[in-house]
Amino acid sequence: MKLDMHSEMILDEYHEKLPVYEKMKTVILRLLQSCLEENHILVSGLEARVKTEQSLAGKLELKGFKYRSLDDITDVVGARIITFYSDEVDIISALAEKLFEIDWDNSVDKRKMLEIDRFGYLSLHYVCRIPEALYKDPEVPQLNKIRFELQMRSTLQHVWANMYHDIGYKSDVEIPIEYQRNMTRLAGMLELADEQFSHIRKEINGYRRTVQSMVANGNFNEVPLNGDTFRSFLKLRPFKKLADKIAAINQGEVYEDNLMPYYKILLHMNMKTIGDIVRMCNEYSESAYQLALLQLAGTGLDIVTYSVAVLNLCIVLILKKGYGEAGLVRLFDALYGENDYHKQRAHRIYEQAKKINMI
Amino acid sequence: MDITINKLEQKTYVVLDGRVDSTNADQFQKDVAPLMEGENLDIDIDCTNMTYTSSQGLRVFLLLQKSLMSRNGKMVLRNMNPRVKEVFDITGFSNIITIV
Repeated sequence: MKLDMHSEMILDEYHEKLPVYEKMKTVILRLLQSCLEENHILVSGLEARVKTEQSLAGKLELKGFKYRSLDDITDVVGARIITFYSDEVDIISALAEKLFEIDWDNSVDKRKMLEIDRFGYLSLHYVCRIPEALYKDPEVPQLNKIRFELQMRSTLQHVWANMYHDIGYKSDVEIPIEYQRNMTRLAGMLELADEQFSHIRKEINGYRRTVQSMVANGNFNEVPLNGDTFRSFLKLRPFKKLADKIAAINQGEVYEDNLMPYYKILLHMNMKTIGDIVRMCNEYSESAYQLALLQLAGTGLDIVTYSVAVLNLCIVLILKKGYGEAGLVRLFDALYGENDYHKQRAHRIYEQAKKINMI
Repeated sequence: MDITINKLEQKTYVVLDGRVDSTNADQFQKDVAPLMEGENLDIDIDCTNMTYTSSQGLRVFLLLQKSLMSRNGKMVLRNMNPRVKEVFDITGFSNIITIV
């Protein structure tokens, strides 16, 4: 590559400043990472790079005359945040505005630049500086003066940009118009898909909020049983009274364990709504307590898990519905994995249940 | 109660013999304390000759389990006799501890 003298001088300046650029890259990555964590934002990707000498030389060869000095090139250091959804780009940009000093004259929202009948590169580019209030290193004062580029785009926008870059730049010949048209069609399709993903996410979040509020308001019969609703229901601590009563058999304590494994068990037991679980609690809590009393009284065991309440409720329901020992074995196998011992345990519980006239 | 602890490559093998109750639970906790730190992340406990555990014993198993979970480790209790298994079942501990 043959560069003119002016471009060669810019390249020399680049070599001198390379350690500062590398330092900037590390600082920017760290600042962005902390900002995302503090705001509980999950992103699909966060990356930063310093432009390679080859890439800079290529840029200078094409349009070196535009730049008076290296400082006029604002993307020597670049960072990129890739969001999952397109509507998250605006959230990220708002955070970036708070975090960095933005050079608005050189920042571009490519999303707003496309004509209504055009599809293609959609991304938000901010040219920024690291404010001294945010990070300062007295040994590297240039760190707060040099500008860098921050790109923000969704995952699908990133896919399109990468593919377009690969196809467009690797090709030695000009791409024929029909292939360009195909790329544009793909851009339109991805833009639509991006919008749909955001829409679906909003709908699901809306559904979750509605269901959570139905659970909180006690409209249990209207709430279908699924993983989300069961989790919300558990927050109401529906089995606490029974668990406390069982623990009190030996003046003991309740250890809080995870009840989510019971979600699938309850589904298999034909529970359709949260209301079905509430009915099971109301109808069978006393029998479940009696069964636990028979097992724990006199043992001195003064610690039980929270799940022991649901376990005994399930046992009672199985026995009341007439599924017998086989039903109990299926329950234990589903909870703990298949084990020959479960037959003995089922038989013992079955006999205990007969003793207290449960069956 | 007797306890034997052996480390073989990445795995720690523990053999329990006898009963864990109020008379020896403190000692049991001291014996397993080294397993609650360091690189003991995969613990296999043979309960073939364990004859009983009281709630004090259950609490030690719970401490060990919590310590391992916080370090992304795992613990398995195996060959438990039906009497000991019953203690884990009726207290609900079978829901939190892996027994094979």
